[in-house]
Amino acid sequence: MLVLERVGKTYPKGVHALGGVSLEVELGEIVAVIGGSGSGKSTLLRAIGGLDPPSEGAVLLDGERIRAPHEKIGIIFQEPRLLPWLKVADNVGFGLGGRPRRERAQRVATALRRVGLSDKAAVWPRELSGGQAQRVAIARALVPQPEVLLLDEPFSALDAFTRADLQDHLLDLWADLKPTLVLVTHDVDEAIVLADRVMVMGSRPGHIFDEIGVDLPRPRDRQSAAFDFVKRRVLAALDRSLQRAPAAAGDEPKATAGAALWW
Amino acid sequence: MSFVGMSIVAEGSPAQERTAVNRWARLTRPALGLVLPLLLAAVWELTVRMGWASGRLAPPPSVIFASFVDLWRTGDLQRNTLVTLGRVAAGFGIGVSIATLLGAAAGYSPLVRRLLDPSLQALRAIPSIAWVPLFILWLGIFEASKITLIAIGVFFPVYLGLMGAIQSVDRKLVEVGRAFRLSDIEMVRRILLPAVLPAYVISLRSGLGLGWMFVVAAELMGASSGLGYLLIDGQELGKPAEIIAAIVAFAIVGKATDWLIALCAAPFLRWEDVVRQD
Repeated sequence: MLVLERVGKTYPKGVHALGGVSLEVELGEIVAVIGGSGSGKSTLLRAIGGLDPPSEGAVLLDGERIRAPHEKIGIIFQEPRLLPWLKVADNVGFGLGGRPRRERAQRVATALRRVGLSDKAAVWPRELSGGQAQRVAIARALVPQPEVLLLDEPFSALDAFTRADLQDHLLDLWADLKPTLVLVTHDVDEAIVLADRVMVMGSRPGHIFDEIGVDLPRPRDRQSAAFDFVKRRVLAALDRSLQRAPAAAGDEPKATAGAALWW
Repeated sequence: MSFVGMSIVAEGSPAQERTAVNRWARLTRPALGLVLPLLLAAVWELTVRMGWASGRLAPPPSVIFASFVDLWRTGDLQRNTLVTLGRVAAGFGIGVSIATLLGAAAGYSPLVRRLLDPSLQALRAIPSIAWVPLFILWLGIFEASKITLIAIGVFFPVYLGLMGAIQSVDRKLVEVGRAFRLSDIEMVRRILLPAVLPAYVISLRSGLGLGWMFVVAAELMGASSGLGYLLIDGQELGKPAEIIAAIVAFAIVGKATDWLIALCAAPFLRWEDVVRQD
């Protein structure tokens, strides 16, 4: 189980990005975190991943405190971030450095088959389309069999069609392996298609403003009335979260987002 | 680092046709570049043959070629080329070693950079040839001063290139290394080294180019052997054909060494070419 205890983050420059977020995520649960820019959602994800440890509070995975990247936690970024000098198969196997060659090859092949890119194993990353590259990134994150997979707006750079395709694909992978997924997004549809719970974050400093359960059977029909009902609730909560912090569109949140990316 | 725009890679026959055209173009385009020099050479040859010009100070191609063959037959050409090559190799080796060490340190550590870089930038502002009298005083007129001058010429492009390359390594890729819990050594080996290599190879090649430039300068200033000595010898004895033959030898050896670096680096940089096909 993933537990956040009053996780807060203040950057050295004094920007208060995150103010005491508490959250419990069960193993195998999918939680979407949504919010306006500057609501600290990326900061939160980076704190969970140990890339950017919190300045207050604690992140606990199965009781163990996370202060640095952990082998049970995989991260998928907004961009694929494949290493251009490694062929696709070597990128997928990047996290298996210490393992014997045969095991590595087997697990890479399995992961590539899972994301439907077995034929691209010997190709350079630059020859892939955006969607393919992000699938390779997903395979790379899945190969070490993480218990928790963090996704930071993973499909936001893709076109709508590819995005929907990859969302379905992610759900298939999740159904196979059942990792805990924590997904940061600003796409309400994406949050509702994927998540068991949608956390709506407010800003100044970032906090959980509202929590909306999504009690719909999968696969979810984006056109159904029930889907639309949940969507209205999420949008209403987002609206209220922005009203409570009327200055949220100012320049400071931008600065925190930048800092979140770079530190 | 956008992968999105590169979605359309060679698919189907139009692209294949295009690569076939490219291959043809790759053969013919350099040949096109030869037209002008060959034409000029032919015109000059003809001019001298017809007696419109004496060609004593600007010998026609046939005389240069004869002089080249002559120097080859006596062994002068090979011997002097080897001497010059040895000087460049020694200077290049020393310059690259120090530049790599300091460039890596300055690129990796802001402290070292702040400590070291201003002084090196100040030294860089001095035209390197200006050091020659001092080097001769310190190191004598023989090999040491020549090799030092070459090493200094090689040093700066390699140092600057490596430092810049390390500083501009994509931090998003470094973060991938962090997410996979690479140790510092692994981070250098698996992320930094491959990321820096393309720029490093370019800096080696420009360093080598400067090395060849400086070996000429060093040998012109006093040498009893080397291709630069052939230049001086040709000047003093009034043999322009020998000068041009030595220049041609410089060009051939310089190009060959540059090509050697490119060849050695090619297997590690194949991933760079992928986009160019696109």
